[in-house]
Amino acid sequence: MMETQSVESDRSKVISTGFLDGARRNYPREVEYVVVAIGLAIITGLEIATYAAPGFPLWHWDDKVGLVMFLLLLMAVKFWTVAYFFMHLRFDKPILTRAFYTGVLLALGVYVAVLAMLHGFIAGQH
Amino acid sequence: MADAAVVDHDEVAPHAHIEHDTNTGISNTKLAMWLFLASECLLFGGLITTYLLYKTPLTIEQGPAPKQVYDIPFTSVSSFVLLMSSLTMVLAVAAIERGDHHRVRTWLAGTALLGSIFIAGQVYEFTVFKSEGMGYTTSRSSSAFYTLTGFHGVHVTVGIIMLISVLLLSLRGKIPEHRSETVETVGLYWHFVDVVWIVIFAVVYLIP
Repeated sequence: MMETQSVESDRSKVISTGFLDGARRNYPREVEYVVVAIGLAIITGLEIATYAAPGFPLWHWDDKVGLVMFLLLLMAVKFWTVAYFFMHLRFDKPILTRAFYTGVLLALGVYVAVLAMLHGFIAGQH
Repeated sequence: MADAAVVDHDEVAPHAHIEHDTNTGISNTKLAMWLFLASECLLFGGLITTYLLYKTPLTIEQGPAPKQVYDIPFTSVSSFVLLMSSLTMVLAVAAIERGDHHRVRTWLAGTALLGSIFIAGQVYEFTVFKSEGMGYTTSRSSSAFYTLTGFHGVHVTVGIIMLISVLLLSLRGKIPEHRSETVETVGLYWHFVDVVWIVIFAVVYLIP
């Protein structure tokens, strides 16, 4: 019984860096992860809304550029949120952030260049 | 000093990670996983680029384009399931850091279950697409679509196998708190397959 109470009280506290591998900040409480997940669910709901409500004026701005930009923004926010909170980049040493984003930016640079070179951004070219 | 080098960490560090003799202060396993995930960005970047270049069939006779057969509401539910599996995964990591082994097993089993639901949904989706005339070799666009989403599905399946392995190790008492990086490393892989799906869902399914 005492052990159960101890675990319950632990759950409401942050996890100290002393117990973590390569962390520079304490890991958050469990309730904070749940809040982040609710935020992600809301963003996913907004993404689905673009499909469920096709008549919204913003989607048709500049021949659907508004819709594309909106979806790319939501995608980037979700990507960043999962990487920073769930993958703990916000709390771990910066070398991990640098290692991961080197891969992300390298991929982004190489493949945007490939798409541009092969006219992938021009409708009807492929 | 010599004695310190042969100390059994199982005995002296019941609630902390093993101290690592690395220049970065991060365990080699965790750093290696991050470098692997960085390299995976290039793999999935290539597959997404290929899909974007080939997303339209050359001729109408080549069968339906992927966009014509998508079931967005169904895929939205699958995406939500995978997103929530990231929450259960991070709760498993938090539980092992606190030494709550019962909850670790619960959250790991929950994550594996949600991942399995996602894979079952993908298999169902592929079956429906095939019945609607879009097979793997129907057109270049269908090949690019199945290769991209199939590769992601394989990654999720590997993740489920890893989760079940960690769960079994935990049940046998092989993952004490100070070895929590095992769960954390598997968690990193699992979150990565989630962020890849975030990109695929937006770029492949939603963006017109």
